[in-house]
Amino acid sequence: MAAAPTTDTVTISINDVEIEVPKGELIVDAVKRLGLEIPIFCYHSRMKPVGMCRMCLVEVGFKQPDGSVRKMPKPQAGCTLPASEGMAVYTDTELVHKDRRGVLEFLLINHPLDCPICDRGGECPLQNNTLFYGPSTSRFIELKRHLPKAFPLSRYVTLDLERCIQCGRCVRFTEEISGDAQLAFRFRGANMQPTSFQLTEFESKFSGNVIEICPVGALTSTKYRFRARPWDLETKPAICTVCSNGCSVWFDYRVGKFVRLNGRVNEAVNEEWTCDRGKFGHDFYNSPKRLLAPALRKEDALRTANWAEAYAAILEAFEPGGNAVAALTGPMVSNESYYLLQKLFRGVFRSNNLDHRWTRHLSAASDRLESKMGMPTVATSIEAFEHKSAVLAIGTSLADEEPILFLRLRKAWFKNGTKVVVACDRDTDADSFAHLVLRYRPGTEMALAGGLLAAAVESGRATVPDPVREDLKRYSPSAAASATGVPEDRIREAADILGPNAAIVTTHRLLDVADAQGTLEYLAGLAMCLRAEFNLYALGANDQGALELGIHPELLPSGVALADAEAAAEVGRTMGIEIPREPGLGTHELLRACADGRIKALWLVGCDPFALHADRDLVQRALEGVEFLVVQDIVETEATSYASVILPMLGPAEQDGTYTNMERRVQRLRQVIPDAGDAKPAWRIFAEAMLRAQPQTPFFSAEEIMEEIARVAPAFEVARYDRLGHEGTRL
Amino acid sequence: MAETKLLLEHAHDPSYRTLDGYLAKGGYAGLKRALGMDRQAVIDQVKASGLRGRGGAGFPTWIKWNGIEKDKHAPHHFMLCNADEGEPGTFKDKQLMEETPFLVIEGMTIGGYATQADTGYVYIRGEFVDAARAMRKAIDEAYAAGYLGKNILGSGYDFDLHIHMGAGSYECGEESALMSSLMGERGMPRLKFPHAPLPTVAGLWDLPTVINNVETYAVAPFILERGGEWYSTLGASTKNSRGTKVFSVSGHVNKPGNYEIDFGTTLLDLFALAGGVKGTLKACVPGGSSVPMIDADACSKAVIGYEEMAEVGSMVGSGGCIVLNDQVCIVKFIWRTALFYANESCGKCTPCREGTRWLLQILERIVKGNGQPGDKELLLEICSQIDGRSFCGLGDAAAWPVVGAIKAFPQEFDYYIANGRSMVESDLVLVG
Amino acid sequence: MSDVYKSVVKPILAGFGITRRRLMQRRKKYADVTVQYPDELREQYPRTRWRHFLTRYDNGLEKCIGCSLCAGACPARCIFVEAAENTDEARFSPGERYAVRYEINMIRCIFCGYCQDACPTGAIILRKDFELADYRREDFIYTKEMLLEEYPGQSEEPFESKVGGVYVNG
Repeated sequence: MAAAPTTDTVTISINDVEIEVPKGELIVDAVKRLGLEIPIFCYHSRMKPVGMCRMCLVEVGFKQPDGSVRKMPKPQAGCTLPASEGMAVYTDTELVHKDRRGVLEFLLINHPLDCPICDRGGECPLQNNTLFYGPSTSRFIELKRHLPKAFPLSRYVTLDLERCIQCGRCVRFTEEISGDAQLAFRFRGANMQPTSFQLTEFESKFSGNVIEICPVGALTSTKYRFRARPWDLETKPAICTVCSNGCSVWFDYRVGKFVRLNGRVNEAVNEEWTCDRGKFGHDFYNSPKRLLAPALRKEDALRTANWAEAYAAILEAFEPGGNAVAALTGPMVSNESYYLLQKLFRGVFRSNNLDHRWTRHLSAASDRLESKMGMPTVATSIEAFEHKSAVLAIGTSLADEEPILFLRLRKAWFKNGTKVVVACDRDTDADSFAHLVLRYRPGTEMALAGGLLAAAVESGRATVPDPVREDLKRYSPSAAASATGVPEDRIREAADILGPNAAIVTTHRLLDVADAQGTLEYLAGLAMCLRAEFNLYALGANDQGALELGIHPELLPSGVALADAEAAAEVGRTMGIEIPREPGLGTHELLRACADGRIKALWLVGCDPFALHADRDLVQRALEGVEFLVVQDIVETEATSYASVILPMLGPAEQDGTYTNMERRVQRLRQVIPDAGDAKPAWRIFAEAMLRAQPQTPFFSAEEIMEEIARVAPAFEVARYDRLGHEGTRL
Repeated sequence: MAETKLLLEHAHDPSYRTLDGYLAKGGYAGLKRALGMDRQAVIDQVKASGLRGRGGAGFPTWIKWNGIEKDKHAPHHFMLCNADEGEPGTFKDKQLMEETPFLVIEGMTIGGYATQADTGYVYIRGEFVDAARAMRKAIDEAYAAGYLGKNILGSGYDFDLHIHMGAGSYECGEESALMSSLMGERGMPRLKFPHAPLPTVAGLWDLPTVINNVETYAVAPFILERGGEWYSTLGASTKNSRGTKVFSVSGHVNKPGNYEIDFGTTLLDLFALAGGVKGTLKACVPGGSSVPMIDADACSKAVIGYEEMAEVGSMVGSGGCIVLNDQVCIVKFIWRTALFYANESCGKCTPCREGTRWLLQILERIVKGNGQPGDKELLLEICSQIDGRSFCGLGDAAAWPVVGAIKAFPQEFDYYIANGRSMVESDLVLVG
Repeated sequence: MSDVYKSVVKPILAGFGITRRRLMQRRKKYADVTVQYPDELREQYPRTRWRHFLTRYDNGLEKCIGCSLCAGACPARCIFVEAAENTDEARFSPGERYAVRYEINMIRCIFCGYCQDACPTGAIILRKDFELADYRREDFIYTKEMLLEEYPGQSEEPFESKVGGVYVNG
């Protein structure tokens, strides 16, 4: 709702029922308090009301001192009218019904009524409103307006101008929410039509949302086009696992096959929006390259095998254990699976050779900001950004890396005037609303971070220990300016903007730059000095969960360092295993060890090193060098051709599990579609492998694993399945 | 009753278009007096004059001026002049800007002084190139002589005046659409009170804004010069209309043109001023094409005044009086009017966007001889669905003429629909 | 006593009377009641609802637009439709959309005719062919190729018995 929250209330009457509502609440929202509905097309609660479609006309009057009601001469649009004292609204009079019929008749005279072939047919607000409020016949006998059908606005969005009712929702979305203002109306009157400028491609990173908010079938998804009708589809709540934002979505499927994703309301995360990467990025479920049965390399060829053979081969190869075995993981695996993987490796294979990180810089456990500076690296929730006074986004293009955070940041700027400083070595979408843009030369992140800290120190707003002060002399604002190419006054201004209610945002992308450690320490120091919050957000769907749950050569679940012998032993006791003392190797070392032949067996869980690692050559040597390679994945990748054993893994929506997003919010994803072929959930694969190695009671469900995780890592206590709320819970 | 020349007194004198000529004819006396007065006193003068907006709606001008915050908190106050005169039949603002530009500038400066405005914009219709040129020349002269800009006439009051050319959309004559257009947005109307604050609170760029018609501003110098009391004696015979009004008389009269008359003059006197009606009077659209048409009988009874015209079922509007004689086919006339509104609808709201097109389609069908029984009733029904339901006044303006014509001349519609040809045998050709 | 006679005995005797009358009738009359299927077929009523057909326009284009409304209306959920887009090179139906897959599970179908009612183009109609028995369950999935008439108007022709029966008047 657009009006600012206020404690003032006013008494209005709706259909002669008196009700107290916040002052300024729009009538269209106020009537919902009585369970009534005013039909709408153009109104959207997350955008400014415009009153274009006139569907929401109601009769409005004002209470006179003598108790009678004096009605306004004209019906008023309920979607733009703020409630004020003594207002009397009538939503059910003969006049209102006549007006609704009138508006619907107008809307339908030029609508093609091709509902049978329209993707929106069956879930169409125009259909619904016509059914409830509209005339049953039309008196229109003239020629309808004819316009291009199925015009491709972009590779994702198809525009059918005949169906358009010119409500402007799409145009307003691109202006108010996504901010790229890629759509606009052209022409006027009955010829008015929404299009991209000069018919250029509609290249918003959030274009999929306009498909959902279109109240008719004018904007349809190119991918979903003609794929199904709404009544063919089944729908279940799910979360998107393409990036670390963890958006709530509706997962639509037909006869067990994924069909499309729609945004689901989750005020804490994505409100109701989705990004194109997530909305259109779930093709792997239906990929022709899906792995459906285990395969075993026999005589230089991969042959389909059964699970028993696969497990036997794996256990034999991993038998040496210790430093001779290793595992690398990708981001799209559940918390439960990560936990079991590390338990399998530490408990059964007696190895700490585990890693989930693929960035150039891998912080050693002692270098982590948490242990070194006592600075948490995830502090701000997505929701909290709305009320930040200033935000510094550095080294990241938010719209690409954290798209939903980008939308929230834009909303903060749009609604609350948050000052956003964007520091990046290239143009980003956030530049459009940035208060300040710091465009530094690639590779000079550290100089900029140091310059910012030095500027804060110089202005007297931050105090640092003397050694740091000495160290910062290298990066006085003027020195930083000449190193980075950012004007000195901008560096000073940026440092001035930050303060106690500010947040610094960066992502794991920053770990790919030179001097990543130094940059991070300066940024964390800057945040610490100014009492701002510092955030180093993960990029993959469950990267944060992998870190929390010990997919790390030096860290155990709940972040206990291996070096802390006592605590590590305690974690081991809770897990019921003995933790191997020797620290494992990080990803790069590990791949080198594979190439050298020091590591005999490597297990790849849901990752393609060729796609994730920067050094292709190293990856190739590693995969060729390692004697035994297990590739466990959802779809065939480049790495599968090197595999000794292929284990088919189920996708996130095909199994029960939880995922930790970049703000440390654990959300549950229940199984939506049936198992694909012979594939199994990752956690079950690890559980079965453990069972075969050591007799024990296996885990039968993901829920049981979470119970154990909660005991081992107390932070996950709130993530037990019976406590996980609808919006998930932050650790 | 004779023509009272106030605004148009020196209109035909070319020297009046220069600052010297204007000063020679007593120009800027009003501003000089105003600058010597208290701001509130200026508004009180306008209140005493009974001046009502000349753009069509007839809203008391002083209320707008008085609605601006008295202590200037906002960074800017704006004075807007609506010179986007697009109403068919109205051409008074064009003449006022071309021939008496200083009246408008002086009026805006007076208004600006009263409301502490620092910036004024004259939003001129795109087609009015000559008017814009004349205004530009006058503004430049006024700047050079210190009648605009910093410290006007040594009073310490600063006022800048800019010209903005529209792009020819009728809708931009609607005040909120005009502001949208001026701000660089699409020329579509914005939410109005009670849905949003009044322009006097949050108008242009959400800052306090006064917006008046060209003629309203042009009157202000006379009110300030001679006093509001004096002005209110003009047209005192009417209920609530004061002063003079410029009417653009066109159509079947012998001397079409702009005529300035006191309120209280009869419509027939106005026709007589314009050289009398050619042929037999059949109907008249008294206030620009958007007001309902009245027949000859009503014309003979009509007295010009805001309330008086309402009594005969029409409006003063913007003063574009279109006179029709018995050679005119009303159905074709209304078809041409509907064509205008269907073209000019901005497309924002459903009733106007779809309704105007539908009205046009039906009328076109009737004019082509394919009318069907029930078409007349359907037209009335569609109009009732547009009138009062549209976002801004354009929808109403498109519906009223149709309703007015059908009420005044139902037999012509019945005949055309039944016989497929006009009731009026005439050589007149309407181009659409 | 007379009550028992009137309400029990008399109706029973009257019933036997009908049996007796039928027994007395000539043999030819039996033929009128009992149709000797499969040698003979009874003419079906005009609005009989049996086997489905997907019909064509006179120009040969399919009427079905793949809208799935039949599947939505089907109370037995036995219709599966998958749609695709027509191109100018490969045009199956007028307009943008056509059914690339259209399947009816004849075992599940209850022949209610709702699909025919729901169809916006009159593409699917239920006709008089009632000889739907088959040997394998898979054969009861009628595909689009089976359902589609080969030429416009085929579905309107009287059906030919697959077991060699000839029509008799009912």
